[in-house]
Amino acid sequence: MGIPPEREDVKQQVLYLSQITMKSHLLESPISKCPLYLACHHLKTERIQRDWERQGDAGSEGQKLTVCPIINGEDHLRLLNFQHNFITRIQNISNLQKLISLDLYDNQIEEISGLSTLRCLRVLLLGKNRIKKISNLENLKSLDVLDLHGNQITKIENINHLCELRVLNLARNFLSHVDNLNGLDSLTELNLRHNQITFVRDVDNLPCLQHLFLSFNNISSFDSVSCLADSSSLSDITFDGNPIAQESWYKHTVLQNMMQLRQLDMKRITEEERRMASVLAKKEEEKKRESHKQSLLKEKKRLTINNVARQWDLQQQRVANIATNEDRKDSDSAQDPCQIDGSTLSAFPEETGPLDSGLNNALQGLSVIDTYLVEVDGDTLSLYGSGALESLDRNWSVQTAGMITTVSFTFIEFDEIVHVLPKLKIKFPNSLHLKFKETNLVMLQQFNALAQLRRVDQLTIDPQGNPVVNFTLWKYYVLFRLSHFSMQKINGTEVTQNDMIMAERLFGILAHVASSELPQYRLISILGDARKKQFRYLLESKGKKPGIINEENNDSKRLVGENTNRATLNYTTRDFYNEKLEEIKEKKKFCKTYIEDLVKEATEINMKNEALQKLWPQMFIELVRDAVIEIRNKNSYMKLCLQQITDQK
Amino acid sequence: MISAHCNLHLPAQRHVLTYMEDAVCQLLENREDISQYGIARFFTEYFNSVCQGTHILFREFSFVQATPHNRVSFLRAFWRCFRTVGKNGDLLTMKEYHCLLQLLCPDFPLELTQKAARIVLMDDAMDCLMSFSDFLFAFQIQFYYSEFLDSVAAIYEDLLSGKNPNTVIVPTSSSGQHRQRPALGEAGMLEGVEASLFYQCLENLCDRHKYSCPPPALVKEALSNVQRLTFYGFLMALSKHHGINQALGALPDKGDLMHDPAMDEELERLLAQVPGLVNSITASPEASCLPSRTPPRVGSPWRPLHHSRKVDGESDGSTEETDESET
Repeated sequence: MGIPPEREDVKQQVLYLSQITMKSHLLESPISKCPLYLACHHLKTERIQRDWERQGDAGSEGQKLTVCPIINGEDHLRLLNFQHNFITRIQNISNLQKLISLDLYDNQIEEISGLSTLRCLRVLLLGKNRIKKISNLENLKSLDVLDLHGNQITKIENINHLCELRVLNLARNFLSHVDNLNGLDSLTELNLRHNQITFVRDVDNLPCLQHLFLSFNNISSFDSVSCLADSSSLSDITFDGNPIAQESWYKHTVLQNMMQLRQLDMKRITEEERRMASVLAKKEEEKKRESHKQSLLKEKKRLTINNVARQWDLQQQRVANIATNEDRKDSDSAQDPCQIDGSTLSAFPEETGPLDSGLNNALQGLSVIDTYLVEVDGDTLSLYGSGALESLDRNWSVQTAGMITTVSFTFIEFDEIVHVLPKLKIKFPNSLHLKFKETNLVMLQQFNALAQLRRVDQLTIDPQGNPVVNFTLWKYYVLFRLSHFSMQKINGTEVTQNDMIMAERLFGILAHVASSELPQYRLISILGDARKKQFRYLLESKGKKPGIINEENNDSKRLVGENTNRATLNYTTRDFYNEKLEEIKEKKKFCKTYIEDLVKEATEINMKNEALQKLWPQMFIELVRDAVIEIRNKNSYMKLCLQQITDQK
Repeated sequence: MISAHCNLHLPAQRHVLTYMEDAVCQLLENREDISQYGIARFFTEYFNSVCQGTHILFREFSFVQATPHNRVSFLRAFWRCFRTVGKNGDLLTMKEYHCLLQLLCPDFPLELTQKAARIVLMDDAMDCLMSFSDFLFAFQIQFYYSEFLDSVAAIYEDLLSGKNPNTVIVPTSSSGQHRQRPALGEAGMLEGVEASLFYQCLENLCDRHKYSCPPPALVKEALSNVQRLTFYGFLMALSKHHGINQALGALPDKGDLMHDPAMDEELERLLAQVPGLVNSITASPEASCLPSRTPPRVGSPWRPLHHSRKVDGESDGSTEETDESET
């Protein structure tokens, strides 16, 4: 510094003044208002300071400086004050080489220049000017306070040599980001308020930084200011007026990441707050992990469903091919399964790879294999793909099973679903809403199969993959056949009384014919058939507990409970039906031969009878004649008879 | 027993065996159920149902088409069961009619229905809607006379391509000429075949055909007003001919198609029992479905058969399902 050691009092005053400078700029008030500053005027010793400050009175503009005046003979000047003028260039001060503080606040300076000789300068106040670029500060190595607030600076540069700088004020500029701060080894305070900063870097390279003001900028995530977490010296920071401050996770994220903080947004941080912050941060982490898992699961589910859909399409095409190309049937069905398997594997080889083992615990009841999907979501059980039907055999907890009210089938042949309906009835007693999509419902008859369930409140048949919906009468048939359910809704629309009446009107006679006009033995056999099938499934279920036997009783009573006049309208799946017909073939053959034998017998007997009829008169005459001839001679006849009697003994 | 009870339809003597075989077959299939029921009773019921025409209900197609009587019974049953659909005025597609047919006969083949639909739609767009009466009469012709119609189709093709099936074709070089003659010539050529020639061929067919044919006299009547006709035109004429319909005896006249007072009465009774429509539930056991969510009722009319068999071996199951006579 340019102050000789014996002038300790001056030194103290300068230092004291620079402290005041620092403080007053914090309050952004002109330095002249400070009482001690004014006190300097009265120093009788060497003039230390000149002051051309104008207070900016209205109408006194003509009195303002537009250029820096040339100052002669003041080479020991320490403080120079040019506040509130119209100065456009810094000039004519290169001879004041002992200057410690230069105040050019509120002028029209456009460029920092003319300072290269001021090697002692410690305080440079250039606030409220028109400076666009930080430059020409190379020689000011002793700079302690640099105030550039209220300018047009867009970039932080050319300050890396200011290793004694303690206070840097860049508020109200046009900065969009913060970096290039290395070298400022003494910086304790950095004011960046009212800029357009979106991210902050290099702050961890400031070993002494304690106060950082980032209010009213454009910071929206903590990641953009992540370097702050690495700064061990920071104890006071402000973020108010940034988008980040509006976030729900703002406070605890900042606290969690910056444990060294003592003050946030000008308020002290309490222990309680810190504790809350860590708790909340942990929760956030949990939530993020959870949602990540969820999205993984969702993706997996989506892929599986796509896979099931593809298999379904292939299968449907294969069936169509078989239907149209009877002669190529065998080769088709032999080839296609290989193709399907092949394509399945090749399409999704990697998808099953990166899943953590904790996945299965994540969602209750979710089991994911490539070819089918079973999903439990609150009150809905969704089954995709025919493999999913086996899952009904699983040990469902009573609670889970009891909660299920909706069962949805997709990409499964309805005929296959029919076979598992008894299981569904037992395992999920509260399932009241059934949904079918892409299940190949093609005949009204198939709805007969649903009659065996306990109760169905709602039925949703998705037109996609269910041609039966195209029929005009399908809803009425459903209402008619399943009238004992008193269904509330079909495909989302309420069932009205008129609907029920119409259904009855259309098909009532069918029911009447199906019951009263069938001979009794047919009734028995048809109903017997249906019940036999049901019992078969009940018996097949593991563990025939007494409870199940009671079920049987109740069920059979229930069967009776439904409208008996339509109970004979059953549905046998095509496979079963063909099986039955095959079985009957044998019997038919036997019957045919049996009847033929009977007929042969009957015709033989008939022939014999006819022959007898023809011969009988002749035979009768002969009999009579023989008898008459025999007894013509009474005596000899008597003798003959006696002889016969004795012979007999 | 057989001849005493039955009044079998048309030349049915040769089909008696069919019914006998079927009866025994049915017996075999359901012997556990029937053996307790009484075999003599079974046969009585069986042949009664054959007479009444209810024996074909829910039977497999091979049985339904086995005899003319079966076919007539099936047509009649279809009419009675679904007359209400027609009465309601709904127009349905071929597939839907097929569905209804399947309700009565689960393995009824689609092609028969398709052929019937072609008659109505004159071989046009097969997705068109058809009225109940149109379809039913066409279906009657197609189903009852299906073998006959196949032969007629062959004859028609022959006539169309210029070959007369009545003439004996001597294989000479000129027979190739026959084939080369165009079936339908240049514009202005009449379509179809000549009616009288066609009829001659049909007459010959009827004589030697072993399957049932429509009465030739009536066929002649049907063909009398036209000079030329197409195959489907012919079939349509057949299906609309009242005389043939009456000769078959399965369905009433077109005008009366929607009338069936006995069934209507029955229907009204059923309708009266739709829940919510009446205030008081009648004593009839048919009204077993009470409204909404009440649990199954006690004392339902028909005890489960298995139980009744175990408990009461001598239960006297009555023919009417409404009659409760166990124990």
